[in-house]
Amino acid sequence: MTMEKPKRKLQIRMLVMFVVFAFCLGALGVRLVFLQVIDGPKLQREAIEQQTRDNIVTSKRGTIFDRNRKVLAQSSSVETVTANPNEIRKAKKDAAKIAAELSVVLEMDAAEIQKLLDKQTNHVTIKRKIDVEVATRVRELDLVGVYLQEDSKRYYPYGNFASHVIGFTGTDNTGLGGIEMVYDEALRGVPGRVIALKNALDTDMPFQEETHIDPQNGTNVVLTIDEVIQHFAEKHLETVFREEKVQQGAAAIVMDVETGEILAMTVKPDFDLNHPFELVDEEEKARIDAITNEEERNKERSNALQKMWRNKAVVDSYEPGSCFKIFTASMALEEGIVSVTTPFFCPGYKEVAGRKIACANRNGHGAQSFKDGVKNSCNPVFIEVGQMVGPDLFKKYYRAFGFTETTGFDLPGEANGVFYGDSNFGLMELSTSAFGQGPKVTPLQMIAAVGAVANGGELLKPYLVKELVDDDGNVLKSYEPTVVRQVISSETSELMCSLLENVVTNGSGQNAYIKGFRLAGKTGTSEKIPRGNGKYVSSFIGFAPADDPKVVCLVMLDEASNGEYYGGRIAAPVVGKIMDDVLNYMKIEPQYTEEEKENLDVYVPDVRGKSTQAAIKDVRAQNLTYTIVGGGETVKDQMPKAGSNMTANSTVILYTEDNTDNKVTVPNVLNLSLNEVQASLSANKLNLNVSSAGATGSTSQRTIAIRQDPAPGTVLEAGSIVRVEFRFLDVD
Amino acid sequence: MTHTEKQRKAPDKTVPKKRSRDSVCQATGAHMGTVDFGFLVSVMLLLVLGLIMVFSASYPSAYYQFGNGFYFIQKQFLWAVIGVGAMIVTAKFDYHKYKKYAVPILVVCVLLLLAVLVAGISNKGAKRWLGFGSISFQPSELAKIGLIIYFAYSMSTIKGKIKEFRYLVRYWAVLGFFVVLLLLEPHFSVCIIIGLTSVVMMLVAGARVRYFAIAALPVIPVGVWMAIFEPYRLQRLITFTDPFKDRLGDGWQIIQSLYAIGSGGLFGVGFGNSRQKFMYVSEPQNDFIFSIICEEMGLIGAVAILALFGYMIYRGIRIAMDAPDSFGSLLVIGVVALVGIQTVLNIAVVTSSIPTTGIPLPFFSAGGSSLVFLMAAMGIVMNVSKHKKQASI
Repeated sequence: MTMEKPKRKLQIRMLVMFVVFAFCLGALGVRLVFLQVIDGPKLQREAIEQQTRDNIVTSKRGTIFDRNRKVLAQSSSVETVTANPNEIRKAKKDAAKIAAELSVVLEMDAAEIQKLLDKQTNHVTIKRKIDVEVATRVRELDLVGVYLQEDSKRYYPYGNFASHVIGFTGTDNTGLGGIEMVYDEALRGVPGRVIALKNALDTDMPFQEETHIDPQNGTNVVLTIDEVIQHFAEKHLETVFREEKVQQGAAAIVMDVETGEILAMTVKPDFDLNHPFELVDEEEKARIDAITNEEERNKERSNALQKMWRNKAVVDSYEPGSCFKIFTASMALEEGIVSVTTPFFCPGYKEVAGRKIACANRNGHGAQSFKDGVKNSCNPVFIEVGQMVGPDLFKKYYRAFGFTETTGFDLPGEANGVFYGDSNFGLMELSTSAFGQGPKVTPLQMIAAVGAVANGGELLKPYLVKELVDDDGNVLKSYEPTVVRQVISSETSELMCSLLENVVTNGSGQNAYIKGFRLAGKTGTSEKIPRGNGKYVSSFIGFAPADDPKVVCLVMLDEASNGEYYGGRIAAPVVGKIMDDVLNYMKIEPQYTEEEKENLDVYVPDVRGKSTQAAIKDVRAQNLTYTIVGGGETVKDQMPKAGSNMTANSTVILYTEDNTDNKVTVPNVLNLSLNEVQASLSANKLNLNVSSAGATGSTSQRTIAIRQDPAPGTVLEAGSIVRVEFRFLDVD
Repeated sequence: MTHTEKQRKAPDKTVPKKRSRDSVCQATGAHMGTVDFGFLVSVMLLLVLGLIMVFSASYPSAYYQFGNGFYFIQKQFLWAVIGVGAMIVTAKFDYHKYKKYAVPILVVCVLLLLAVLVAGISNKGAKRWLGFGSISFQPSELAKIGLIIYFAYSMSTIKGKIKEFRYLVRYWAVLGFFVVLLLLEPHFSVCIIIGLTSVVMMLVAGARVRYFAIAALPVIPVGVWMAIFEPYRLQRLITFTDPFKDRLGDGWQIIQSLYAIGSGGLFGVGFGNSRQKFMYVSEPQNDFIFSIICEEMGLIGAVAILALFGYMIYRGIRIAMDAPDSFGSLLVIGVVALVGIQTVLNIAVVTSSIPTTGIPLPFFSAGGSSLVFLMAAMGIVMNVSKHKKQASI
């Protein structure tokens, strides 16, 4: 057979061909094993990554409360409008029409939206944080490729209240300052997720389920701040900040002496937490807006905002000036180096290392006890005391009072004090440090240290967060007072309280005086470096009641520029006023001195319609005097009106006939002494009411009226009350 | 043509009317066998699996593109029915008759390939389709079969003389002519398929391997020249070496294919559950359908399909070995090689084992007219199988 031979060869070649194919298919099978089994998990993971849309569901940010659970910061539900421009294009929808419809509902520029929709991307954010009602209207438009995402918006009910303490959040709900930043992790909660499958066009897949992981709400933070006390501090600091034209900011802190809890902390100028990115200073804003170079403008703006957000009470240090004498006195008493009665002599200066250091009183305080030295805030006395203490002990106490370390406070950016190193702490440095010139401390360090002097000698860690609570109010974590160390003995502490009370009652701190409350404190004025430029930091720190201190308050004014700069003149009255409000609010029982009792404010009784005799009896019972106008038997009218608050021994005018045309004009009593004011008002048939806080005790010519209400020239009915605030001038 | 072959043909013409029992199996001749059962089953199984997978893979893209998830499967089903019809026809048609038409068919193929260059429908810079409106086909599909018939006819006629270089070189010339025509379209992937199929036929027919080795030498510079001439080919080569380099650009297609395959794991995500077919894998019902099979059916399913192709090739080669004459043998070898080469190349591309080129997976990739030509070719193999040598019995 001719066919057989080639046919066999053909068959062998066919078999070879089969083997080749079988090999190829087998090789592909092996390749599949590699891809599906060995590399499978990795490829699958990457595939899932691209196939799933992981939408974050924002968790509700925790609320920030004051210590009485009043809301200071709260989040509400809002929505954010986003769009998928690629999807709109693929669906062949008119982006211009969508932009136009959205612009109406969102109150935005249509061209601006169109620009976003024209981007070659799968995701653009059109408008953030719109209210739920607006979101509903967007939803009703039923636009292709336009989406709404749940979001939350932070709301601060009190606006610029405690702005540096509470802090604020950015567009992404992250805390950017204050408690919002430090407690961000707790407040933020755990965001939930919606995991949805998507196709390559980035739209959701049909017939696929979504996986929901519920968000966990953030923890609520309860501050030690008392909203009411904070308001007092805000109000009084704001007033002085404006009136004294404070250039570099002002700070006030109120702290619980026994626990270290911060009851109020305020910094001026402040800003509205609901609009934290708007500059408050209009002048500054105009100046920055006028900058044409965009980069430079943004830089300036950012700097200005940083400055505005700066919490001066925590991140800036200052020279405490005479306030520091509290610590020099404490260490000297504690170490038994001086006693209250140790005699000193002040010639008006003190020579140290060949240089004369002047006393605030150039004429000199003359011979005085240590007690009077403190009262007078006499520099030569403290230079001597400082030198007696010596550099080593001085430094030991300086450290013990906590000035060389941060307090570990709950707010960001806490600064430390500035002090001399061992090598440059010579006699001169020791001498000036003793009266407060040289070392720099933060207001927070200062108030904590004074707290230690007041509370029996324990330095407490100041803190701002009282507890963390869940949405049902259950306490998850509570923060307790922390004793850092015992700095001085309770005996020394007690002694210091009386010395400092004496400062307010009889000395340089008289402007902080409050009727009925025993306030102890110390004034401080330091000239800023470089010295000689007439720029001062004015401060006062005081605590009350002096026999059992409860609260300590510090007020610091950086560069008051309205003429006055003595801490005792402008900072002390602010502390007095804040303390007056706070002590009354805390229902601390007033303790009046005999002298105070005599001049106590009384309420005017209602005597209208009563017989003249009965009326006189009532008025006298209230420790008031009277003048009768007319010859009638019954009192038709009275001035001041019933219920008015006036100083004891003031005069009530009783009308037994029609009260006609008995008008008087308020005289100008400013810059007059107490006696002169009383005389002037009496002459004008007006009554005096001395402000409860501020200097009054002294009748010396050095106590003058600085504020009166109503203003001079006002026409009032005779017998009306004029409120007058006094200032004691012999302060530093 | 030999006398023996003519004698054989004579009964073919007369007997069928008398002896025919059923449509496919018993068509011709008194000593005719039935269609090879294993081959028939594997073909039909592949066709049915192909339809099912086209349905699953095409659903999302049809849904998004046409708003009708059944858009592609409806068409494909219709083509499958036509394809089965064509298969029945060719299975009944005595393969010996192709000898007579081998040259005319080749001429027609050349004319159509020329026509497509002149009047072809342009698409993405290539003219590959001929037709009007919805009725269109690729002449290259016909050319594949036409060339197989011609080579089988010619090689069987010259017997073992293909061993001689002067005969072999004629086939190279014919092949070269076709390759040039196809490159003018251009249609590089069909050139590869036709070239490899032809080479397999030549080798099986008895051509010496060494001639091919010598011929391959000049092919290398030609390949380099082509890569440079058409930058997209060079790009594909670069992409092949590291598809993850350009994830969203050139690497996208192959990465998505690998993601689909990898996602399948051992057992797959289940029929219909592919996620990669949702616009990630481009045209998942076409060249990359195998990646969706891997994703939905897993390694088990994919290997089963590889095995099914292997079995079909095995049955095909058995048919070729048992064919009564070398024409039938070579005809079957050509068809089997055509299907086998396309299968191997397609899966190699999809698994990123070789650089990307557009080769559809036989029976699976959606694509109308090509399925009809494929089924017709299967019919030819079946017809040959009916002429099985009875010698052993």
